[in-house]
Amino acid sequence: MYFIDAENVKKVYAEGRQKHTVAIEDFTLQVAEKEFVSIVGQSGCGKSTFLLMVAGLEQITEGRLTIDGQPVNGPDPLRSIVFQEYLLFPWKTVRGNIEFGLELNKIPKKERSNISSEYIRLVGLTGFENRYPHELSGGMKQRVAIARALVNKPKVILLDEPFGSLDALTREGLQTELLRIWLEAKCTVLFVTHSISEAIYLSDKVAIMRKRPGKIKEMITIDLPRPRTRDVFISPEFREYERYLKELVWEDL
Amino acid sequence: MRFNYKKMISPLSILALWEIIGRFIWIDPFFFPPPTAMLRELYAMTITGEVFPHIGISIVRALSGYILAAFAGLTLGLLVAWSRVVENIADPLIELVRPISTFALVPVMFVWFGIGNGSKIAIIFKACFFPIVLNTIAGIKGVDKKLIQAAKSLGAEGMQLWIKVLIPAALPMIITGLRISTAMSMLAIVGVEMIAADSGIGFLVIDAQRTFATARMFAGIIVISLLGFTFDRIARFVENRILVWHTETSLSGRMT
Repeated sequence: MYFIDAENVKKVYAEGRQKHTVAIEDFTLQVAEKEFVSIVGQSGCGKSTFLLMVAGLEQITEGRLTIDGQPVNGPDPLRSIVFQEYLLFPWKTVRGNIEFGLELNKIPKKERSNISSEYIRLVGLTGFENRYPHELSGGMKQRVAIARALVNKPKVILLDEPFGSLDALTREGLQTELLRIWLEAKCTVLFVTHSISEAIYLSDKVAIMRKRPGKIKEMITIDLPRPRTRDVFISPEFREYERYLKELVWEDL
Repeated sequence: MRFNYKKMISPLSILALWEIIGRFIWIDPFFFPPPTAMLRELYAMTITGEVFPHIGISIVRALSGYILAAFAGLTLGLLVAWSRVVENIADPLIELVRPISTFALVPVMFVWFGIGNGSKIAIIFKACFFPIVLNTIAGIKGVDKKLIQAAKSLGAEGMQLWIKVLIPAALPMIITGLRISTAMSMLAIVGVEMIAADSGIGFLVIDAQRTFATARMFAGIIVISLLGFTFDRIARFVENRILVWHTETSLSGRMT
């Protein structure tokens, strides 16, 4: 039994009375518990749509989608999503944003603050607790968004191109941070990205999507030892994975 | 909000020029009473205390109408944004009544609420209600769909989604509506007091005009200007206090 189990999932968007767009079709993907899986594909291939469906924010039209054996039925804090645009609450401080999930669960203030401090430390934002989002850099905002998603101790964390709007250096830093956080948080990760090398560096498995309609074309296991350092980027194995995956993506261009 | 002395130059120059024209060039002071004459009048009104009841009653009327409009406008705005049914009922009515000039409704309000304070408060209500209701609707409907998705994925739903996400996210727009309406209330109260009242700052000005006391008339206008200015400043202060987190209206009022 897979932890995330999608079988022949189809998603159709109705546009007006007659027009329908098939976003994804025949989509099958299996992810084991605590696995880190990336989905790579061109813009508009439906990878974000799939993530929204796992998050319970979009309904599937046909097929089967279960998490831990349970069909997805609406959003659940145990399946947190992090978006490219951060989407922090601008009226809340760093601490306030991170505590949001706890506040909804009516956790007492004292306890909330203990828990949030732990996650502030985990994402390396100690000293910035009382800043508002507009006072933070893009990389810091995304750290807050990740901590905010982790605070409910989710079983799955869904990341939708989380580093897509960051500069290259910040991006590299956060990739390494994410691996460290993942090892500490011990959850299943579904990671959507455009970047093949990012996917290889982070993941246990990389799934390549083709578009129109979106479906998984191939999923390969990344057999690189962990913990990985950035030296892995220049190893021959890494290069070989990169070459192979790029070919797969280019076939559809 | 630091006081900028440079911004005093243009109004003071105009007043000085006016003074010179009024004193040294032959112009009938009936039309252009020199600013010193206006100030003398203003000083006299203040010393005798006769201006204060007028200011007081104007503020009471404006504030009563404003507060009623704020409650009604916020409530209806939230209901419209919340329910399609309420929207379908209320939206056409809002769009039909909104374009009617506030003062076109003065006769109606006199018929319905009599010539006393009731009709004046009703007029202020009409002037203030629409900016508040429309900004509340636009504020809630304009909340980023993805922000809502993010909140839902963290476990927010139902009332919690409204109280903890939608309303705070819409607050900048809602507050803007409330601030615009403070200005509307000042505009409307003066107008309606000129049409029919025996007290209030608008009455003071029109009464001075009718008795050919033009210096007194201008003195009243200065009071109106100061009142409007004060209201606006208070509204901005409150706005900045509530929206410290909001980038576009940071404390200094600059874009950041």
